[in-house]
Amino acid sequence: MADVKRICGLLVCLSFIALAGSQTKKKEESLGDKVQQLTEWNNKKSIIRLNGDKFKQYVKTAPRNYSVIVMLTALQPQRQCSVCKQANEEFQILANSWRYSQQYSNQLFFTMVDYDEGPDVFQSMKINTAPVFMHFPAKGKPKKTDTMDIHRVGFAAEQIARWVAERTDLQIRVFRPPNYSGTLALALLFSLVGGLLYLKRNNLEFLYNKSCWGVFALAIIFAMISGQMWNHIRGPPLMHRNPQTGQMHYIHGSSQGQFIMETYIVMLLHCAVVVGFILLNEAHSLKGDPGKRRIMALVGLGCVAIFFSLLLSVFRSKYQGYPYSFLFK
Amino acid sequence: MADAGGIVGRADIKSAMFNPGGWKSLLTFVILALAWLAGFSSRLFAVIRFESIIHEFDPWFNYRATHYMVEHGFYNFLNWFDDRAWFPLGRIVGGTVYPGLMVTSGTIHWLLHMLNIPVHIRDICVFLAPVFSGMTSLAVYFFTKEVWSQGAGLFAACFIAIVPGYISRSVAGSYDNEGIAIFALMFTYYLWIKAVKTGQVFWGICTALSYFYMVSAWGGYVFIINLIPLHVFVLLCMGRYSKRIFTAYTSFYIVGLICSMQIPFVGFQPIRTSEHMAAAGVFALLYAYACLRYVQTFLSKAEFRTVFFFAAAVAAGVVFLTVVALTWAGYIAPWSGRFYSLWDTGYAKIHIPIIASVSEHQPTTWVSFFFDLHILVCAFPAGVWYCIKNVNDERVFVVLYAIFASYFAGVMVRLMLTLTPVVCVLAAIAFSKTFEIYLKDESPRGNQRNSEDGTDNKNDRLYDKVGKTKKLREDRPKEEEGLGMNIKSIIIIALLMMLMLFAVHCTWVTSSAYSSPSIVLASYGQGGTRTILDDFREAYYWLRMNTPDKARVMSWWDYGYQIAGMGNRTTLVDNNTWNNSHIALVGKAMSSNESAAYDIMRMLDVDYVLVIFGGVIGYSGDDINKFLWMVRIAEGEHPKDIRESDYFTPQGEFRVDAQGSQTLLNCLMYKLSYYRFGQMQLDFRSPAGFDRTRGVEIGNKNFDLTHLEEAYTTEHWLVRIYRVKDLTNREIIPKLNKPIKKTKRKSSKKAKKTGIIKKKPKIIKGKKTSTSSKKTVKK
Repeated sequence: MADVKRICGLLVCLSFIALAGSQTKKKEESLGDKVQQLTEWNNKKSIIRLNGDKFKQYVKTAPRNYSVIVMLTALQPQRQCSVCKQANEEFQILANSWRYSQQYSNQLFFTMVDYDEGPDVFQSMKINTAPVFMHFPAKGKPKKTDTMDIHRVGFAAEQIARWVAERTDLQIRVFRPPNYSGTLALALLFSLVGGLLYLKRNNLEFLYNKSCWGVFALAIIFAMISGQMWNHIRGPPLMHRNPQTGQMHYIHGSSQGQFIMETYIVMLLHCAVVVGFILLNEAHSLKGDPGKRRIMALVGLGCVAIFFSLLLSVFRSKYQGYPYSFLFK
Repeated sequence: MADAGGIVGRADIKSAMFNPGGWKSLLTFVILALAWLAGFSSRLFAVIRFESIIHEFDPWFNYRATHYMVEHGFYNFLNWFDDRAWFPLGRIVGGTVYPGLMVTSGTIHWLLHMLNIPVHIRDICVFLAPVFSGMTSLAVYFFTKEVWSQGAGLFAACFIAIVPGYISRSVAGSYDNEGIAIFALMFTYYLWIKAVKTGQVFWGICTALSYFYMVSAWGGYVFIINLIPLHVFVLLCMGRYSKRIFTAYTSFYIVGLICSMQIPFVGFQPIRTSEHMAAAGVFALLYAYACLRYVQTFLSKAEFRTVFFFAAAVAAGVVFLTVVALTWAGYIAPWSGRFYSLWDTGYAKIHIPIIASVSEHQPTTWVSFFFDLHILVCAFPAGVWYCIKNVNDERVFVVLYAIFASYFAGVMVRLMLTLTPVVCVLAAIAFSKTFEIYLKDESPRGNQRNSEDGTDNKNDRLYDKVGKTKKLREDRPKEEEGLGMNIKSIIIIALLMMLMLFAVHCTWVTSSAYSSPSIVLASYGQGGTRTILDDFREAYYWLRMNTPDKARVMSWWDYGYQIAGMGNRTTLVDNNTWNNSHIALVGKAMSSNESAAYDIMRMLDVDYVLVIFGGVIGYSGDDINKFLWMVRIAEGEHPKDIRESDYFTPQGEFRVDAQGSQTLLNCLMYKLSYYRFGQMQLDFRSPAGFDRTRGVEIGNKNFDLTHLEEAYTTEHWLVRIYRVKDLTNREIIPKLNKPIKKTKRKSSKKAKKTGIIKKKPKIIKGKKTSTSSKKTVKK
């Protein structure tokens, strides 16, 4: 995400050099006209798109009795700013919540400037990254705190709403359009399962297949004991790349954290140990020549011992000061 | 206990020398006694290292309540209004506590005194959990015996006796609900299995009574009242309905429901909250199903098919809709936050910071699974596999238990405790099955030799295979040949080595991670010398002795129970975090500047403020490290006055050195923690005011307190107590105060910078000259 942002910034920087021209067309309008114009636009769309001129006219020029929240962004596909898209969606949610809320008034407008429509805005604000959220208060110039710190708080609609409330004292209750994708996926799954059952209604043997159910139960258990729930809640990176050496780390160095890759490795190790146990037990009841059974038993034992000690050594590398190991260091 | 068992056992031997059944029960008895003993003694690290003392936070409340009950009697305890907690609100203890723990130790105390054994109630409280761990291993033994075999039962008993996942909550001194609740949990499950197997009302009622004990002991009873109905439901779905299940469940549910409502804290919850509705729904469903089965006897097969599907769907739908409608109409409370956060894992973080802030409510990494369960966590899925492969009614229960417990343990570290018993059971099944196969010998003679050789606990476990193998041999005498002796012994030795590693691991974990009382700290010097840091008790004792009886002490909620238990003083908030806004108010006082905090403290009538400060000895669990949670919780209730972002640097870091945010460097918590610390040079390599916990030199050094004064600081500065001054007589002071306060309030808008930057350079100039002469204080 940070990389993308950096690339965006670079692009914007480069294009500053190319586009150095700026128009200085000023059309003074009275305050009333401005508000009326903005309200009119706002009735059509909850986020007002501004270009360089409009930005100067409605946001920067002095007689104002309204606050403006500006999102400076680069949405054109060639800018390759994936963060901007997400930020735009969140911003849209917030603007809609404001537009259709009870307390909607003409004190606050949500606007956006796309880099490709108003590069001069970026230049004049000395901004070379995107997206940036800025607040232009009704009176006076924007201060440092009028730029939202998206590095720290992120750009979730709730966070932006909070920041807006801080800056303007206008509380906006974010109303997210209900997300049907989860329900839809669930319904799809159910209908799929139902359909499958219906199609196979003459042969429901597989429902009584214990191995199927066994694999299903083990899958849940493996996912849980390898910490997938932690991943789901905390959202760690897939793996870590050491910036100095460029080396990839699959295993988190401390016992407090883990990478997604690491949990997969651990899950495989758990699986291997369990398979080893099952082989050990099945070797006994296998029909056939004793040699085969012997090999199976030994393979089972090998699985259990080797993969367990691998697991132990992974654990050891994470848990500083752990004294014991088995087979491997 | 073990000796007595041994003697009785030996007497038996003479009569039943050549009776294998006698040998078997003797061995079983000895193994269980040894497991009890091993479990008990491995929980004593803390007592031997320190002393017989109650640990941590919650146990202090339980101890205090028990003490009260023993002194004043049970009925006074039920009616106890504790005016020393949650000042000025107070707390009705009898109605807000699970009394099982107190009643249990009170009963033991009463019994011992009846027998003229004068034991102090504190010692009973300290040793209650280790004693109950032995009972747990018995319960697990019986449970596993019902589910699989006696051999597996013995394995499971030995595993649960020493597994760290359970030891973590049941070391000596950790006098908490979980210590007895796990016993109650496993015993209830055992009785339930028994009820399902026999289909007798007797066992159903026994289950209900054991469930009643569980309800009186721990809020985790919800797990039982959802798992058992789930078991019944799944059995119905699998077409395994029988009269046994009907009898078992209906008798259990009705008696259990009535019993559980007798606990004041639970009250009408079992019929009013969503957590309990699954049980009622399954009850109705079971009746509908039984009714259908009855109707079936009158109908032809083809007729019944249509009627059956229609009726089943209607019954399920009606039950579900009734619950939904009642919830919607407000007769049934929806899921409470704590339970809801188990399903929607992001819920607590957004809506209830107080739940999210508790460390035991965090999700679990795979490392903690491995740390707490070691080889068992790798082996138990194999047990699940075999339970599914050889499924019957009670194994369905174990599999469901395993799946759900592992899910819950994944969501919350704390629920690892409910997972641990089933992991022991299933791992025992896996190991026992393997050992059954590979320990079997060609000749019965050699087999007995082999088992007699064993001396340690591990080999003891194999003894029982004697009887087991015999039984198997009768079943399938032909499959004997094949795997040679050598391979068998290699496999056995390898598995035994892993089990030995498990035992060693358990001991190491218990000794190093779970045996610290956390109110007495120990630090080890280079030569292995041990220094005891007894600052907490020093401070609480000071409070008890030097403050007026009715003094009110403000501290973060973590220390509420300890202040009440050891210091015997009134607290504002404590570990029973039932009132979020009160906690938020304390958090607000801690995170405001001094004069704003003074207003809050005057409002709350605070006499003393207690903070924990680890900067001198490098204790990481101190209040500055917890401070962000205070800010977050305060912000949740007072978003106008407290903003989390103010406490970060512009780069978004939380730091206490000179680059730290000015709001942080001037808030009450900072000042109380670092008061006079700027003049303290800990050693010659580091500058004065060097915080060892955070490894930085603090940013705001020479400041004075206007509304508070230092009352007491312990030897290692771990606990610092301040007295809140009365209002001064002079009129000038408030006038002086007001502008400061006003600028602070508006700070984020405009005036902040001018006010503080002016001050700051003065302080920095001052510190360098003044502090250079200070000496190190002894460590």
